[in-house]
Parts: sequence; structure tokens; C-alpha cells
Amino acid sequence: MKKYFKYILLLGIMGAAFGFYKYNQPHKNIGNAISDFELSSVQLFSDFELNEKESNTKYLDKIIEVNGVVNDFSKDDSGVATITLDSGNEMFGVICQMDNMSKHKRSEFKIGEKVKLKGICTGILMDVVLVRCIEI
Amino acid sequence: MKLMKMVAVSFILLLSSNLMAQKHFSRSGKITFSSDALLEKIEAINQKATSVIDVATGKIEFAVLIKAFQFEKALMQEHFNENYMESDNYPKAIFKGMIAEASSIDFEKDGNYPVSVKGDLTIHGETKEVYAKGVLLVKDNKVSAKADFEVLVADYKIKIPNVVKDNIAKSVKINVDVDYELFKKKSAQLTAKN
Repeated sequence: MKKYFKYILLLGIMGAAFGFYKYNQPHKNIGNAISDFELSSVQLFSDFELNEKESNTKYLDKIIEVNGVVNDFSKDDSGVATITLDSGNEMFGVICQMDNMSKHKRSEFKIGEKVKLKGICTGILMDVVLVRCIEI
Repeated sequence: MKLMKMVAVSFILLLSSNLMAQKHFSRSGKITFSSDALLEKIEAINQKATSVIDVATGKIEFAVLIKAFQFEKALMQEHFNENYMESDNYPKAIFKGMIAEASSIDFEKDGNYPVSVKGDLTIHGETKEVYAKGVLLVKDNKVSAKADFEVLVADYKIKIPNVVKDNIAKSVKINVDVDYELFKKKSAQLTAKN
């Protein structure tokens, strides 16, 4: 029994270390992550508008590189920036909430400019919503 | 011809009465929830909730995307989405309710109005009636709303395994904080387009 004790102890320590690592695992680094899809904001919105269920299966939780024209730019009290991209429908947009865990190249965007952003797709309410976005 | 005119006139009247019906609207509402259990405190924030208040009827609605809740720890977020909320199958949570005191609130007069809201909250595909007390703040024609309430995890058929039963509270606190904008301009655009 004594012979195996140190192996069991070692296994226990390894298990605990793995658990600790998993528990404190950082969020996905969007900057380094490979994009699953690359498309225009108009295309993304129209995909969701045409078939929400299918688009949910296709896009939810995926990293999407989206390009489009800035229709709106705002910052809330806590400094979180949000860019709304043109969806082809003036009532709605593709809302991109910028990531507060990543470093950004700039903190101001102009309405009308063309940008390329990358973020995680969370679905559609009235607008398609991407979170943790960065500019690329 | 006369009939045509009447139809046209009543249509215009209908449109203008629509314009009068004010709506307050937001697509950047903040919904926070916290679970304060024996072993762990868990918090998550969603800053992209949509909400509409219809002044004429007192109706108030909220919608959030479950996957847009941001947690401090990646693992918690993963478990929340995959094991508990099953957000691939149920991507949204929706609340539809009424502000009980709506008729006595002057949405054009600055003030702090205590309100109570009752309605149906749908999470994880389950709908339950909830009741919340909150405050409506009107300032310079802008409306903001704050409310707190609690929901029971079991009410929404969210199964918590025994191993983590001391890590996740049975009752979760939900905090709502929304700054609204007047919807008038948008509806004018819409009617102009038709």
C-alpha cells in the first residue's frame, strides 16, 4: 500500500491543479482566435431575418468577422463602446459591443465609415448582437 | 370615389393617432443577475437588452440574449450556457408585463415615480408570472427605469446537479437598469416610408 501512496498523492495533486486551472481559465482571446465566418453586416442580418432558427444553429457562439458601414457609435457610463453596423434595413442593425478585456487600436469611430470587426455572435432580438468585438 | 376618400382619411387619422402613441425604447438595457450561494458568488451582466414602454397602455417588455451575459470566469459562462440555460435551444429570455401605475405617470414631467410591474417572464422555455417593484425616472423627456426582483431557479426547470448545489443559489437576484429613448422619430420615419 505504502508503495502506491505517493502515486495516488501525485494523481491527487495533478487533479487539483487541473481543476484550479480550469476554474481560472481565462476567456477566449478574440484577437488570436480564428474566425469561423467572414461576411458583411448586411448579409449577416438578412440571414437572421430570413431564417432565425437556421442562423442560430449556424452562427451562435461562433467568431464572426463582419464588415460594414458604421450607423451609430456610442459609449455608456462605464466606457463600454458599441458600434451599430448597417443591416440594409434602417430600423435595425448589427450591434457590436466592443470587448472590455481586449486592447483596442482606437476608441472613437465615425458614423459613415467602413469598418471590419470581429466578435462572438449571440443571436438576434431586433438587431443581430455581437459581443466582445475588436477592430481588425 | 367617396368611399376611397373616406378610407384614405381614416387611414391618415389612424397613422397620426399612431404617432401620438408614445413609446420609450432602448436597445442597450443593463440586466445583471447574481447568485449568492454558500460557496460562491456569481455575477453576470448583459448590456444589450431591448425594452419598450408603451405609454398609452402601460405595457412594458424586455428581451435579452442569454449568450450575451458576460461572466467573470469563462468556465462559469460555459456551464451557464451549456448545462443550465441550454442557450443553443433557448437563446432568449423575454418579459412581457404591465406597469400598474402607468395611467398616473406623466411621462413629460420630470419626477421619480415608484412603480410595480407584473407580467410573464420566459426563461429556458418556461413561462412564470413575476412581480417587481421599481422606479421610473423622468428627466428632460428621457425615461429611465430601475428594478430588482428574484426568481427561483427551479421555477424555470433549470437543473442544478447535487455536486454544485452549494455553489449556485436557489433564488437568483435580477437587477434591471435601462435608459430609454423616445421612439417618436423612428415611427415617423416608418410611416413616411409607407
